[in-house]
Amino acid sequence: MSDVILSLSHVDKFFGNPSVGVHAVQDFSMDVKRGEIIALLGSSGCGKTSTLRMIAGFESVSRGAIELNGRAIHTLPPAQRGVAMAFEGYALYPPLTVRDNIGFALRSAGTRDVAEQVTAVAKMLNIQDILDRYPSSISSGQQQRVSLARALIRKADLHLLDEPMGQLEPQLRTLLRGRIKHFMKAQGLSTILVTHDQTEAIALADRIAVMEGGILQQYDTAENIKNYPTNLFTGTFIGEPPMNVFNAAMRAHENRLQFHLNTETMLDYPANVFSDEVQSILRNVEQVIIGVRPYIVTRTQGQGLPVRVETNQWIGDQSLIITRLAEQTLVMIEHKQSTLRAGETITIELDPDHIHIFDAQNGKALVHGREHTS
Amino acid sequence: MPCLRLIDVDKSYKGEKILDRFNLQVNDGETLVIFGPSGGGKTVLLRMISGMIEPDAGRIMRDDDDITDLEPQYRNMGMAFQNFALFPHMTAFENIASPLRAHKKTNQEITTAVLSIAALLKIDHVLSHLPRALSNGQKQRTALARALVNAPSLLLLDDPLRNVDAKLRFEMRLELPRLLAQQGTTVIYVTQDYKEAMALADRIAVVRDGHIIQLANPQEIYHTPADVEVARLFGDPPINLFEIVPRKDNKTTLIDLAGHTIELKKAKAGLDRPCLLGLRPEVLSLAKKDTPRAIPITIEAKTPLNEKTVILAVTEQGQELLISRPSQEPDQVNERAYLTFEPEQALLFDQASGENLQNNLHQESSS
Repeated sequence: MSDVILSLSHVDKFFGNPSVGVHAVQDFSMDVKRGEIIALLGSSGCGKTSTLRMIAGFESVSRGAIELNGRAIHTLPPAQRGVAMAFEGYALYPPLTVRDNIGFALRSAGTRDVAEQVTAVAKMLNIQDILDRYPSSISSGQQQRVSLARALIRKADLHLLDEPMGQLEPQLRTLLRGRIKHFMKAQGLSTILVTHDQTEAIALADRIAVMEGGILQQYDTAENIKNYPTNLFTGTFIGEPPMNVFNAAMRAHENRLQFHLNTETMLDYPANVFSDEVQSILRNVEQVIIGVRPYIVTRTQGQGLPVRVETNQWIGDQSLIITRLAEQTLVMIEHKQSTLRAGETITIELDPDHIHIFDAQNGKALVHGREHTS
Repeated sequence: MPCLRLIDVDKSYKGEKILDRFNLQVNDGETLVIFGPSGGGKTVLLRMISGMIEPDAGRIMRDDDDITDLEPQYRNMGMAFQNFALFPHMTAFENIASPLRAHKKTNQEITTAVLSIAALLKIDHVLSHLPRALSNGQKQRTALARALVNAPSLLLLDDPLRNVDAKLRFEMRLELPRLLAQQGTTVIYVTQDYKEAMALADRIAVVRDGHIIQLANPQEIYHTPADVEVARLFGDPPINLFEIVPRKDNKTTLIDLAGHTIELKKAKAGLDRPCLLGLRPEVLSLAKKDTPRAIPITIEAKTPLNEKTVILAVTEQGQELLISRPSQEPDQVNERAYLTFEPEQALLFDQASGENLQNNLHQESSS
């Protein structure tokens, strides 16, 4: 049995005539392994929903091929593809109770312990108390969970979930994410979920496909996207608080590499903290964008870059310290209640191991920390 | 010095009480956040302060003047709403200028004021655009600029970040305090987002069913919530709650939690009746090895959340709990671990009323 359950090869989607219409998805290739949870992540209009709809069979594939479990499915009608879906809009059957909505597909398939399975999944999603109600009498957040429950208990080669938790309040989401992830892993479900919320993607997915402008920007684990973003877009899209970015002019001296943030402030590193390969890249660029994740900014005593604290926002278990560095905003994070006050000046340091350097012209990543990108 | 006072204000709609003998004092220069679930009366409250709706009873005082019957245009308040409410046929510039035009300022004065506030809000490059050509974020900033351009002494903001995307909401949450501080304005800010409330507020009024449940600074709200509902509303992941019955043993109070007996040093209240023990996810520690007071658990799932890792675990009795820790975690799912916490960091609530029993204790000991 192949390790790969789903593969998309060079898939395009045009709306309208290819020469003048919208090229919604461009040359999209991606493999999903059996039992893997994948997030398609991007803002609205990035092509993620079109991609999901092509896999489900609600949109035709303009070019390319989709294989699921060894079968080419891109020309099959939706019902023959072997996918289970929870879509925005929910599409619950109004005359059936919540219980019957969730169990409908299982019952049609002649499954034996439908009642037990329905109860278990309902309990997992905190909808066990509304099983005998009708869709019209429950809230949109509850409808969304019913739709999700119905998809999750189906046996299918692939589960497709479109913004599965968009309607839920944040605290409930945090709890349900844990339970759903546990369930999907225990059942070995292969899943693609579409979301615009990077927190959701990072929390649930084994790998994340970041899309923008119809193009797959990066397909990797959350960890790798965070540490090795391929470009400025993925770098700033993933992570909350977002990555701090600074425009800088590169000045390379024999023994030192300097990034001038403005006329007064620079990041100054001994050249030999970087590998030879990184040095040769940096010696050949002029304008760069420096990316610094909030959690790698460390406070120092005395030595270091002076920054002025502008606000200190404590949100219960974290403090976000907003500072000014070279007339730009630098956010740092402390996992406790910080006593810093607005107006204080502190010194910080940015570990060269963890800074990202992007080409100012095209946003492509040049260097991650001391290592070269490739 | 109080800038605004609401005294015994009542408001009903169709026989339903929205605000019930509502009292509130807003201090000069502070940012007061009105926080609570929808339907709690927050928006009605704001509209009443602005003069758009009238109270059924009670008085609204501005400094020493009674403004209860004053028309909205004479109240000198700036307002911005979650749906932006821009004039669709006017450019961003004209939208921002509209309150100044109403006050018959000269063109020169208007241009200076609009350009300066637009620069502060980083929308100076889109001033010639009509609202439909603006992104949601730019619309939002335009609405804020309009609210601020007149340098009002009181600013009313009704969930202004509700309809902007997560990234922009985050950026605005960082920027707003500086902006408001520069203006020196007193602000009443309505939101349903607890992080926004904590980040922006000098004080938070938690409003539910037409009443203020708690009015305090963010620190007190988080550490000494008035009741279990307030505790649940602040914090993500949410507070863990366990049903317990504290009992007396010699000089200490004992509870049974997940098959273990734990000593609660502080708690003298709530003895022999059903209580809820509240443990915030960040006060829980996990160890690999068993210790006398540790509770064995199994880790079911890990889900990263904003530079934290949220761990879903179950006790041997099948009780779920959430644990949060800074940064990434190497240990494995389905692993056993041992849970400990400092009893001083636990909160204790009465199960029937939800009331925080330790708050009572503090009050008793201080009086």
